[in-house]
Amino acid sequence: MNLTLKVWRQKSDKDKGRFVEYKLNDVSPDVSFLEMLDVLNQDIIHQGHDPIAFDHDCREGICGSCSMVINGSAHGPDKATTTCQLHMRRFKDGEVIHVEPFRAKAFPIHKDLMVDRSAFDRIQQAGGYVSVNTGNAPDANAIPVSKEYSDMAFDAAACIGCGACVASCKNASAMLFVSAKVSHLSLLPQGAPEKHERVLKMVAQMDKEGFGNCTVTGACEAACPKEITLENIARMNREFLGGFAVKRK
Amino acid sequence: MATATLTLLRSSVVKKAIMGLTGLGLSGFVLAHMTGNLLIFKGAQAYNTYGHQLTHNPAYPLIAIGLLALMGIHFVCGITLTWENKRARTQGYAVDAADQKAASLASRTMAGTGSILAVFIVLHLITFKYGTLYTITHDGVEMRDLHRLVIEVFQSPVYVAWYCFSLALLGFHLKHGFAAAFQSIGFGHPKWSAHIKCLAVVYALIVALGFISQPLYVYLVHR
Amino acid sequence: MTKLDAKIPSGELSQKWSNRKFENKLVNPANRRKHKIIVVGTGLAGASAAASLGEMGYHVDALTIHDSARRAHSIAAQGGINAAKNYKNDGDSVYRLFYDTVKGGDYRSREANVHRLAELSGNIIDQCVAQGVPFARDYGGLLDNRSFGGAQVSRTFYARGQTGQQLLLGAYAALMRQVENKNVRMLPRREMLDLVVIDGKARGVVARNLLTGEIESYEADAVLLCTGGYGNVFYLSTNAKNSNATAAWRCHKRGAYFANPCYTQIHPTCIPVSGDHQSKLTLMSESLRNDGRVWVPKQKGDKRPANEIPEQDRDYYLERIYPSFGNLVPRDVASRNAKKVCDEGLGVGESGLAVYLDFSDAIKRDGEDTIRAKYGNLFQMYEKITAENPYKLPMRIFPAVHYTMGGLWVDYNLMSTIPGLFVLGEANFSDHGANRLGASALMQGLADGYFVAPYSVGNYIGATKMEKVDTNHEAFKTAAAESIGLNDKMIAAKGSQTVDQIHRKLGKIMWDKCGMARNKEGLEEALREIPKLKEEFKNDLAVPGDGSDINQELEKAWRLGDFLELGELMCRDALNREESCGGHFREEHQTPENEALRDDENYCYVAAWEHKGEGQAQELHKEELKFENVKLTQRSYK
Repeated sequence: MNLTLKVWRQKSDKDKGRFVEYKLNDVSPDVSFLEMLDVLNQDIIHQGHDPIAFDHDCREGICGSCSMVINGSAHGPDKATTTCQLHMRRFKDGEVIHVEPFRAKAFPIHKDLMVDRSAFDRIQQAGGYVSVNTGNAPDANAIPVSKEYSDMAFDAAACIGCGACVASCKNASAMLFVSAKVSHLSLLPQGAPEKHERVLKMVAQMDKEGFGNCTVTGACEAACPKEITLENIARMNREFLGGFAVKRK
Repeated sequence: MATATLTLLRSSVVKKAIMGLTGLGLSGFVLAHMTGNLLIFKGAQAYNTYGHQLTHNPAYPLIAIGLLALMGIHFVCGITLTWENKRARTQGYAVDAADQKAASLASRTMAGTGSILAVFIVLHLITFKYGTLYTITHDGVEMRDLHRLVIEVFQSPVYVAWYCFSLALLGFHLKHGFAAAFQSIGFGHPKWSAHIKCLAVVYALIVALGFISQPLYVYLVHR
Repeated sequence: MTKLDAKIPSGELSQKWSNRKFENKLVNPANRRKHKIIVVGTGLAGASAAASLGEMGYHVDALTIHDSARRAHSIAAQGGINAAKNYKNDGDSVYRLFYDTVKGGDYRSREANVHRLAELSGNIIDQCVAQGVPFARDYGGLLDNRSFGGAQVSRTFYARGQTGQQLLLGAYAALMRQVENKNVRMLPRREMLDLVVIDGKARGVVARNLLTGEIESYEADAVLLCTGGYGNVFYLSTNAKNSNATAAWRCHKRGAYFANPCYTQIHPTCIPVSGDHQSKLTLMSESLRNDGRVWVPKQKGDKRPANEIPEQDRDYYLERIYPSFGNLVPRDVASRNAKKVCDEGLGVGESGLAVYLDFSDAIKRDGEDTIRAKYGNLFQMYEKITAENPYKLPMRIFPAVHYTMGGLWVDYNLMSTIPGLFVLGEANFSDHGANRLGASALMQGLADGYFVAPYSVGNYIGATKMEKVDTNHEAFKTAAAESIGLNDKMIAAKGSQTVDQIHRKLGKIMWDKCGMARNKEGLEEALREIPKLKEEFKNDLAVPGDGSDINQELEKAWRLGDFLELGELMCRDALNREESCGGHFREEHQTPENEALRDDENYCYVAAWEHKGEGQAQELHKEELKFENVKLTQRSYK
């Protein structure tokens, strides 16, 4: 198949950036989107130009490195899919594809399609953990956890921290990410003792990073490659308001 | 401690909860308002008497101030949130998300529909609340003849159209806002959320159609 | 040849670790603050070590090539983590896990190390659960287990198909907590390019800031290398695209011996290669072999669709050859048999390089919903890549490079031949012998990081007198200058081939000649071809841009430079080892039933290679392996 790619090229955060058009011929429908970019990059290098920079690593949908918006959708048109799992058979011959980086003030652009998502690490540092030192753990079966809650915690913990929620939200809000982290730990008895402290601190850090607010559009949920649900945001709101109400200092 | 509490109060979650709570309060108000409006179908006396009793209720000033406060807070909070949201993404995308990854129009345009509604409310108050003061006596009680004003105003097709448009917009705003409010105050559950969404649609339809019925009825019947 | 001292503790096997812990020197809590430790890599081993050392009070600098510690490739481990908890009451014990691991490794691992690993396995599960890792549970709320290859007990703990991610998120969260507590400084997007050795001790690293191109220096009292394996030598592997051997290889060049480089694990259940542009291979978890049955048609050239081939025309070859372990034979055995049936022309799919993994019996027995609950995400992943529905059609699978048992040589304390350089996780060679059992990599990474390194590093720091050094030391300047020089040369070549083009050539040589089966002739040929490829790399490489900025091609280039040298050593090691064991299968050495034939007389040793200078062949050192508890036998899974 033949394609026209319009790829966002930007040298650094300070540079202004623009779309550059590339024509691709004979793209195999069986290659992944990133492999298609690999092929394009090989051509670019042979022509003596700077290849397109993009983050990628595991290429099996779990590391959360991909950070592209394809035709307006984070990770492309398919649900529950990361860019690396997207295959070219999903596109039509002759299609024009816009490829842009995740855009948010809290995710400054490093180069081309590479963005800085360290804000997520800082949010995690603010309280996204259970305070247990190595060697302090009781036997793993000492505290039973209901299967229902364990499964719910897992559903939230499936978040791969890619930032597609931020990228797809019209407000660049990180609520889905933060709520997934908050829910994962607060749903388990191990994380419960710190649940109020945790949610208050993580939300405060989220706000500090300059993410937008939640308008409950559900765009994040639709874009999430791991299908994290809005229910987590409601839970986070609930726990935040509860924590805010009962916290003594 | 005070500063910490202040920071928490300013957090996006609290602001959204305030939006949700004030929104729900206003939702209750518009439903009541709309129900009162339906008395137009019963006639001038019922319509005017209802208005008279309402405004002469001892709690009326309190309710009025409360409502004003709700609207004020909803408005200011909304402006702040929108401002923050704009700042969170300074550069938009070249293409919009399509199909299964696109968000609903209502959810994406809350700030826009809200702003138009704010303008509408001000004009609405000027037109009716502070409009020409006719009086009439029903059953020996002298009261404001709001019925006459309403009939007068809705003779103009421009007014009717503006009202229909704004109230449809209100319905649109409510359809998303009513359901989202529950989410913002922490009520979201896989078993109930779908029902709340349904309820929001039904509620928004009832409010919007109920409101719109008045100008249309007046324009078409009271020539 | 120097004698390698593995520093195995004295005493009974089960007492060795306790004895060592007691003998160890300690550093008192107030003094720990005065010591700095560098941890390179933040996968399971690195993140758990950095967090644990931070908790103890040391100052830790943690470097990662990723933008966040959470993205290390440990994240991609699917199936599970072993632990001798015996929660299933099916006869498991520390000793059985130890025994299975030694046997699974085809008797080429160190008994004492493996026993320690088995002892610590239970603590790992406890620690992870306490951190909030959502392991699978049964309806009573207790932890669930499943079976993995090479074991007849159910001892594998799992979190759906993403155990690696959940464990890493636990370690990552612990690490983030220490960053918040200011005990750990995170240095993301930094790639270690050299080890700085002063007075014979590892005292720091130089690293490239991948965003600015700057070469940065970091000093420390000990360096922990947790940089994973080198499977990407083969270009196509299940490793992440950025997984590389540069840090380990550069340490090797500074004096750390490289052990058993030829031990490569070829994982039996991966999605087959589909075309020329393929960039990597995708693993399908071994857990699938719990319910999936492996088969090929009995008739050569049987082109009927799988579901039209009747039962009597199918050969469930694993169940036929290995009735007691069936589809759950160890990975090396399963891979080799897949290769064998494909070599015989029985392979399926367009390329003929695939076998079926069929779930139709399991679906008939348990229902589609049960299978979906167990493996849903794996099935989904398969469908995304192949556009085939595995609930209706059997999966097509083929072996692919997955894990490298070899790595830098370490003693029992995980210290390399350079004092102060510790090597953890897949980067070391220590616990898996010639073949790793499924669900043991996560166990080893976390055992090393949470429970071994904190003791060993403390002992080293407590027992070693060290001068203060800072990054103005001559050794740092030299190392930095050398790294810059190396990079500049690659940029200056301005040749005609991209890194990927040369890497694919290397991958092909390695896969064909040092892959699932090796022979003398092929290895010798590879040893002639790789030096030629090295020349191409030197003279004909095209790296765009310069070194002053983000340059992903340059990153790939220096990694390939090291892969080329490492690939050569792998072939040399494979050629030297005139026996078959585990993942190392020399065609000249097989039993009449085509099983791996060991030579315990002559090769019961760890081959540790010493770098002798640029362009010179490495020198072989041997660490004899003594088996005092396990009897060496021909592995049998029949």
